[in-house]
Amino acid sequence: SSFKDDVSTSPQLFAPMSPYDVELPIQTTEDVLFGSQLNQPKDLPTDFSSVDLSFLPDITQDNNEQNLSEDGHEMQKEPDGSIPRNEDSGIFVDESSLSYPRTTQPSPEASGVCPSLTPMTPMTPVTPASESSGIVPQLQNIVSTVNLACKLDLKNIALHARNAEYNPKRFAAVIMRIREPRTTALIFSSGKMVCTGAKSEEQSRLAARKYARVVQKLGFPAKFLDFKIQNMVGSCDVRFPIRLEGLVLTHQQFSSYEPELFPGLIYRMVKPRIVLLIFVSGKVVLTGAKERSEIYEAFENIYPILKGFKKAS
Amino acid sequence: MAAQGRCPSCGSAALVEDAHYAQQQLVCAACGCVLAEGLLTTTYTEEEHLREVSYSQSTGQKEQLSRCLQRGIRRVQDLCKVLQLPRVFEETAVSYFQRAVQHPSFHLVSLEKKELLGGCCVFVTCRQHNWPVTMGTICSLLYAKQELFASVYLSLQKELELSVPALSLADLVKTHLNSFRLFQHAANVPAPFVEDKEKVVARTMQMVELASETWLVTGRHPVPIVTAAAFLSWQSLQPSARLSCTLGRFCKVAGVDLPPPAHLRLKELLEILLRMASQLAWLRVFKLDKKTVVKHIGDLLQHRIFLLKNAFCQEDGEEQGAAAPGEGSPSSPPAAGGVAQEKGCPSGGKCQHEGGPRPLLPPCLINSRKRLRTAATSPSDSAITGDEPISDSEIEQYLRGPEEIRAFSKAKAWP
Repeated sequence: SSFKDDVSTSPQLFAPMSPYDVELPIQTTEDVLFGSQLNQPKDLPTDFSSVDLSFLPDITQDNNEQNLSEDGHEMQKEPDGSIPRNEDSGIFVDESSLSYPRTTQPSPEASGVCPSLTPMTPMTPVTPASESSGIVPQLQNIVSTVNLACKLDLKNIALHARNAEYNPKRFAAVIMRIREPRTTALIFSSGKMVCTGAKSEEQSRLAARKYARVVQKLGFPAKFLDFKIQNMVGSCDVRFPIRLEGLVLTHQQFSSYEPELFPGLIYRMVKPRIVLLIFVSGKVVLTGAKERSEIYEAFENIYPILKGFKKAS
Repeated sequence: MAAQGRCPSCGSAALVEDAHYAQQQLVCAACGCVLAEGLLTTTYTEEEHLREVSYSQSTGQKEQLSRCLQRGIRRVQDLCKVLQLPRVFEETAVSYFQRAVQHPSFHLVSLEKKELLGGCCVFVTCRQHNWPVTMGTICSLLYAKQELFASVYLSLQKELELSVPALSLADLVKTHLNSFRLFQHAANVPAPFVEDKEKVVARTMQMVELASETWLVTGRHPVPIVTAAAFLSWQSLQPSARLSCTLGRFCKVAGVDLPPPAHLRLKELLEILLRMASQLAWLRVFKLDKKTVVKHIGDLLQHRIFLLKNAFCQEDGEEQGAAAPGEGSPSSPPAAGGVAQEKGCPSGGKCQHEGGPRPLLPPCLINSRKRLRTAATSPSDSAITGDEPISDSEIEQYLRGPEEIRAFSKAKAWP
């Protein structure tokens, strides 16, 4: 059928061109597996070919590739027989109520259009590795910790420093701020310090060093040990609205969407271990990363999934 | 059984097993003191010598449920009965509750939280069976604060790794409308307000479906949408008598709460309906406004698929916009609309002529008041390595001078 032809002639299938390809080992190996499957069409699951899919709306080739790539990224578990929802069927179609009429017809040839379908067995992505989203998440906040390795007198610090506030009844740490890089630090009497608000790892480190220097100038033998980035938060905009109700149906194991509690969908990605907040406007917040690459990788993983829920024209 | 130990009264080690009638006894041969008799209990040594055993040390504790757990289970069962849930739900909810309470993160929480935990288990069970119940309902039954319920629910979902399907709005319509008191004649319900339940439910379902297709539902609290949809549906079934009734009065008569967002949802729904009406040939003669459009809701809902396609241009709809005049509605579109369509509809908010189609987007994108943030990283920012030298003067700006310190400590009466 046209589906198999198009995919097997795609020249970019095995040429990694994405700058983030190194962080996506799954994609490359699965591409190879899928490629071998393509060459033996008979090995494709029979469920796929015998299904009458004429009831699905027409979609373009582009959409089809994106939809299949979404399956590849969720290799572990597939919801049984679920279809990536189009918005018209969004919230009212219960998974269990769908049934596939089995016919003896071969795969449909509705005007050369390939159906979007999540097959019974997980299939690997068809998207050529070069087709990355083109959107780079921006880092919004970095949280880091460092050990100054000396006991601190917080009252003393609050008295001698202009940029410090200390309210022991409310919180047992001094809250200190500097202007450049614009950050906030929590300094504890044990000598441990938390630095928040920086927009990059280097900025966070520079800021932490400045706080340590302030503490030094106040007369304490502060050191700079075990600087570690604890959390990174990034955000970006995919520039199209997203059907959250559909996403939570097809990715139930990873998603939590409770409009009564929070307007966004909370997606807990397993690899990399990142939590994404996905909103109807298309804005995505990524958090929980220890390294910048995890944010980028997580976004590249979610982008094809989100594109699958873009309204087909 | 081997005799062990010594007689507590005389200290002799000569202990003999003897039977007094049918009862086994352990007797001291020297003084005749009975050490133990009727060995019916466990192997704990205290019990063998007829000493009191604390409950926590006896075997009874392992067999019985703790009082806290018993109370919690009873709570869960009561909740299920109040909500009139099927028997199966009760069993499932109780099993979730037992699992949850034994989990380390819930074992030691406050009693208040344990009660909420029971409510959460019932809630999860209902949702897993697609039984529509909102958190608001459970919270009001438990007299609980919604934030606390939310946090317990989220941690329950995480710890027990439960997958909870999304709330089905269609089912919610039916259950929510059940609580409306408009379907039977009553003292406070004016005669023209009473309506047939099936009709209201059917039309509200269509209205809610329309709302979800036009991005009014995603990310929003479900109940206000159902309330607003029910109001419009009810009005449209007998507009002459009901157009003068406001949303507030409607809710009061129906005996339901008016959630604050319902007014906004109503406004949004009316805007969608007005746009759809502009595409219906026979309605264009009337200059419809948000009151009069209600009369035609029946027609609009009947043809909603067609009307939606024409009233709103699609996202990536350059082709759509150009082709529209050709395939469009039966009568020629008004001049303004035609012009707008010919221009095509690039994504974003450019398509905002009065009579022309606008892009079908969530309201947060249409009414976007936020400035588009340009790339925040300036070249100087990206050049930072983190190891730059730090000048003394920069640090000193953050330190107080001696006079300042004196003034400060005097003023603050430093503790």
